Amino acid sequence: MSALTHRRYSRNVLNRLIEEAPSESKSLTDDHRHSLSARFRGVASADHRRLDAWMVERAGQPMGAFRWSPTTAKRVVGNAALRRALHDPSLTRFDAVDIELTDQLLRVASGYARSGSLASYLAQASPSVLGLVSAEAANWTTQLGEAAEGIAAPWSVATSDAYYDVARARTTLRGRRDLIINRGLSRILLRVRAGAPGKSAGPGLRADLTIDALADATGLAATRVIGLWPEAGVVLSVDGTMEDLRSGARDLVRTAVAHQRQQLARAA
Amino acid sequence: MWRQTLRMTSLLDASPLSVMEVLRGERTTRPVANASAAPGLRALLEDGIFELLGPALRDEPVTLRASSLQSTPHTYDLSRSTPAQVRGILITQALRLMSVGLDVDDAFGETLLAWRADVGTNELTNFVDQLDADERARLVTDVTAHCVTLKRSLGPLSNRWLPRTSLRAYQRLAGGNVVLRDVIDLMVGTTTSDVASVALLDVTTSPLGEGAERVMRYHALVQTLRTSIAPLRSSMFSTATGDLWSLDVDDELLTRAALDVLDVLSQLAASA
Repeated sequence: MSALTHRRYSRNVLNRLIEEAPSESKSLTDDHRHSLSARFRGVASADHRRLDAWMVERAGQPMGAFRWSPTTAKRVVGNAALRRALHDPSLTRFDAVDIELTDQLLRVASGYARSGSLASYLAQASPSVLGLVSAEAANWTTQLGEAAEGIAAPWSVATSDAYYDVARARTTLRGRRDLIINRGLSRILLRVRAGAPGKSAGPGLRADLTIDALADATGLAATRVIGLWPEAGVVLSVDGTMEDLRSGARDLVRTAVAHQRQQLARAA
Repeated sequence: MWRQTLRMTSLLDASPLSVMEVLRGERTTRPVANASAAPGLRALLEDGIFELLGPALRDEPVTLRASSLQSTPHTYDLSRSTPAQVRGILITQALRLMSVGLDVDDAFGETLLAWRADVGTNELTNFVDQLDADERARLVTDVTAHCVTLKRSLGPLSNRWLPRTSLRAYQRLAGGNVVLRDVIDLMVGTTTSDVASVALLDVTTSPLGEGAERVMRYHALVQTLRTSIAPLRSSMFSTATGDLWSLDVDDELLTRAALDVLDVLSQLAASA
């Protein structure tokens, strides 16, 4: 039985959700990967397909072309700044944001940034736009830091999102994760989201759960995925059961189908 | 007999306070963080909404914003005119830039760039594009004047106070029948401390009127519902007049805020 838990956010509630997570982790096997790959291969695509939880939540509806903006840059800069502040406690989170932005600009100056990357966007931005990126990132890192400070179990900021290339299906899956909470050998993922959770927030969390398990070399799934919506003061969680993993995989394939149909309709 | 009055120079006890000094207040006198008010407020709101709107789920929720509490149905709020909206947005952008230590010299140019980078193109950015030279010059002068007032009054903003800007909040009540939306222009302090330290600031380009107190209370209420911790104080600063109003948040203020919300809802229910 797949279950979605919905709670009002407080430090105690978050800790309870972590403590009460299932103790046993489920694993995806090679058979699961082959089966998923076969299903994605069955959904033809002219271009390379990129799917994530947001597309699942929007049922594959087309989105506008991605563009960097202070809002889209805040998570990347904010998470990196929090990681930096944890490694060097003498830094405030705001100092860490400044250093992270400088670091991004240095990548461009030293020729390591490719066009279209965050670094190249920042290099072309005016000082006032950089200021706004800094303000957005500071909001993000403070929100994430405040949530993390209250967690009793050991935690770390995820070094990157989970990416999984589905074999021979021209499909890349991206699972977002902000904090990784360790409980013995198992792990719990926490994602911070903007706005308020919609009706499809549960499928979105399941998609993140499944992609994270696929991206793990051993296929080990997180025991729970927690979605935190600080603006709404709400937390939702999904357990890493086999049923939830299957449900996440099904939603991803359905999204690919819906996406393909919409592309065909647009081409017609 | 006569007495000679000596020439005197009047001196104030202290220099005029900056907005940030008022917001932070005296560190040693801060009360313990109030983590018990939120459930009671929520119950008060839920019961009141049930009486006003009944148990049936509505197709569309009733959405309340701070502006819903600012004016009465019989007044027209000039701050809702398009030029005033643009001015308000640009001053908010100026505050955001100042919060990260940027010295805003060209108030109009820099804030317009930042705003465009954030939202791309919309109805209001198109409005700015279509202004003729005279109208644009008026807007530039207006924004610059408001920005100067903000800059002079804000005071130093240490990043140790964790300044966050344009923070959105969204609270669903009565099964989603009522949604409270809010945006806090500037928030400092943390909810993880044992003492109350969160201070909220609303910057407006209009003079502070009779609705300002209701708006300050509304900010405190939504923040309490969102984080389960009541803020230390809620303040409002007018860049039109340089006035700053500030309220310390306590249980009575939060209860009044909940009653304000129910009052607006009852007016909306009566007019529907």
